[in-house]
Amino acid sequence: MAMYKYDSIDQTLVDQRVAQFRDQVARRLDGSLAEEEFRPLRLQNGLYHQRHAYMLRVAIPYGLFSAKQLRTLALISEKYDRGYGHFTTRQNIQYNWVTLEDTPDILAELAKVEMHAIQTSGNCIRNITSDAFAGVAADEYVDTRPICELLRQWSTLHPEFAHLPRKFKFAVNGAKEDRTVLLCHDVGIELKKMTNHDGLTNELTANIYAGGGMGRTPILGSLIKQDLPWNVLPSYLTALLRVYNRFGRRDNIYKARIKILVKALGPEEFARQVEGEWAHIQNGDDNFTQAEWDRVAKHFTKPAYKTLPALTNEQVLASAPEIERPAFARWIERNVKPHQVAGYASVILSLKPHGTVAPGDATTAQMLAIADLSDQYSFGELRATHEQNLVLADVEQAKLFTLWQEAKKQKVALPNVGLLTDIIACPGGDFCSLANAKSLPIAKAIQERFDDLDYLFDLGDISLNISGCINSCGHHHVGNIGVLGVDKDGEEWYQITLGGEQGNHAAIGKVIGPSFYADEIPDVITNVINTYVGQRHEDEPFIETYRRIGVTPFKEAAYKDKKEKEAQAFSGEIS
Amino acid sequence: MSQINLASHQEILHFPKGGKPSLAPNEWQVWSGDQDKSEDKGASFTLPDLEHGKKGILVPFTWWLSQMNSDHHEADVITKAKNGQIGVWFATDDDILKHADVIEAGQKVWPLVAAHFPLFRDGRSFSTAALLRNRFAWQGEIRAIGDVLIDQLLQGARVGFDSFALRPDQNLDVALKQFDLYTVTTQNSWRGKRSTCELHAQ
Repeated sequence: MAMYKYDSIDQTLVDQRVAQFRDQVARRLDGSLAEEEFRPLRLQNGLYHQRHAYMLRVAIPYGLFSAKQLRTLALISEKYDRGYGHFTTRQNIQYNWVTLEDTPDILAELAKVEMHAIQTSGNCIRNITSDAFAGVAADEYVDTRPICELLRQWSTLHPEFAHLPRKFKFAVNGAKEDRTVLLCHDVGIELKKMTNHDGLTNELTANIYAGGGMGRTPILGSLIKQDLPWNVLPSYLTALLRVYNRFGRRDNIYKARIKILVKALGPEEFARQVEGEWAHIQNGDDNFTQAEWDRVAKHFTKPAYKTLPALTNEQVLASAPEIERPAFARWIERNVKPHQVAGYASVILSLKPHGTVAPGDATTAQMLAIADLSDQYSFGELRATHEQNLVLADVEQAKLFTLWQEAKKQKVALPNVGLLTDIIACPGGDFCSLANAKSLPIAKAIQERFDDLDYLFDLGDISLNISGCINSCGHHHVGNIGVLGVDKDGEEWYQITLGGEQGNHAAIGKVIGPSFYADEIPDVITNVINTYVGQRHEDEPFIETYRRIGVTPFKEAAYKDKKEKEAQAFSGEIS
Repeated sequence: MSQINLASHQEILHFPKGGKPSLAPNEWQVWSGDQDKSEDKGASFTLPDLEHGKKGILVPFTWWLSQMNSDHHEADVITKAKNGQIGVWFATDDDILKHADVIEAGQKVWPLVAAHFPLFRDGRSFSTAALLRNRFAWQGEIRAIGDVLIDQLLQGARVGFDSFALRPDQNLDVALKQFDLYTVTTQNSWRGKRSTCELHAQ
């Protein structure tokens, strides 16, 4: 298998982390550790206290995991939770119903399969996210996985940065298309290969973007460093984090993220301060060595690909009986992505069935079945995507049809990847104690309203993201259509943003106006979509129509029903 | 200046580099400085008398700065400093890099320095200790003072602290056990190189 395998150092570290946490929990339970002081400790190990119970967030570092690990995740969901898990936008999985007492045992079970919950929350360096298609994407310049793993290790239990002003998220991209929302991270690392002076050899370098983020003040990151050699990342990032740790605001939680510091200083001044700090440590022994690269990179080899002919779509379709072809073709079009290796493709299993469960949820049975599918079709390896779906990265094109049939049985074959119903949503007010409003019923209502695949296909690429509060876990700022839950006098309202985008043309959406009641949202979305359909040029995606005609027509359509209702109420009064 | 919560400590947890953690009577009194920024009395504040059994006093770094910048030093300060009876403590908002010259000069007279934790989850003093060790090559003792809790000890010990004035309600037996929780590390610290590096240096 082509994924990182723990050696005795990694294994010892996670085992000792479990023992440390077990002791912290014991001190909490016997009362010697107060809740206020336990809170940051449990958060740094992924344990939240939610509306109904504790929630445990387990890291899937840079989104890569194995069938064996997924089986453990499934068994944990059955033994300690209520038979399901929730895949998040940050390549983690969450359990919503665990108890404090069980948590050390859950972590011990995870450690047995080289998993952990270290730094999945808290004011520290979080789980590093990357391209779910790293190592297989056809548009990749650099396989990001070795750098992600090196940085995972470097950041794990980093003592100086254990109590930063606020959470700190890294994303790493190495492909032409950005699938990581790079510019919405505290630090975005863009990897590339530079040709050396000899014109023959390549050097792996990084561009560093800092100060991006969503939340209350959405900002795209600024480029602060170019062409940084890969091996000096630890010293450069130490300098960057040291400046943030010393000067980031701690007086106001809403102004504590690095984006506020970068904005206040200006990106040039921030970069200058980092550079000044780095000058003292750039040649130090914090930097990665070739031996460390080798220790990690040797695991990210290519799996044992067969020599296969590359198949055209027509040839792939021909493997299906004629009656099944239209549906199979749709799945190929939306859920199958090109691969680096001839005869292979990557398959996205949609965790967004219409109107049933929360986006990103998988049941114990589904997890077990998907683990089997990955063994059978994709070298026993899986990836979790930022959009809350799962990927089988290395599927033979010739086996796509049989895989599709198997996936349909598990209800993970809906061909809606990238379509309006491939909704990103946080768990919202149903679970999260931070939320102002529920997100899951909104997602469900929209999926039910648009439960017509012909129509969804006709609409094409549209992203719709829902967050239950301004913390923006549902990434509503970068949805073409964003829905944000807000609280007004104790009632749940929803604000709509339009024009957000992730990827290379990342943009923050704009709020269109006053918020709506939950039951108005499906009509509002319908009106927005109808405006697009009425105004689009041939083959023009939603976001381009929006950019061409601007927000006004969409805004007028969104508030159309509200105006009519008000007019009716008014005429009722005078008659 | 951040809020000050400096208790009078009977015992200090010492964990010298390369040594073992142990408890010892506290010989250093911490003076909060009674700082009142609105009036900027600075140098006019006088040192309190040494408490019984104490051999020296830790003064606020800002107070030390004001003494250095003042034309008229208290004779008492100079005498005490010459006798190795004065150290400084850094508040979280003291920019130690901005006063590098004062710190370099101070290194010759301070037997120890301290860095303050106004709240256990304020990590600024971790960077202060790291800078004192790395940038200023400070070889003497660095003490953690303020809201110092059991679960910060390991992090503190790794960034450069080698003594800890724990908050009085903390269980010192539990505290002493914190330092051997981990036998491996994946980044360098003041105490040693990362395990992942040593493995391949052999």
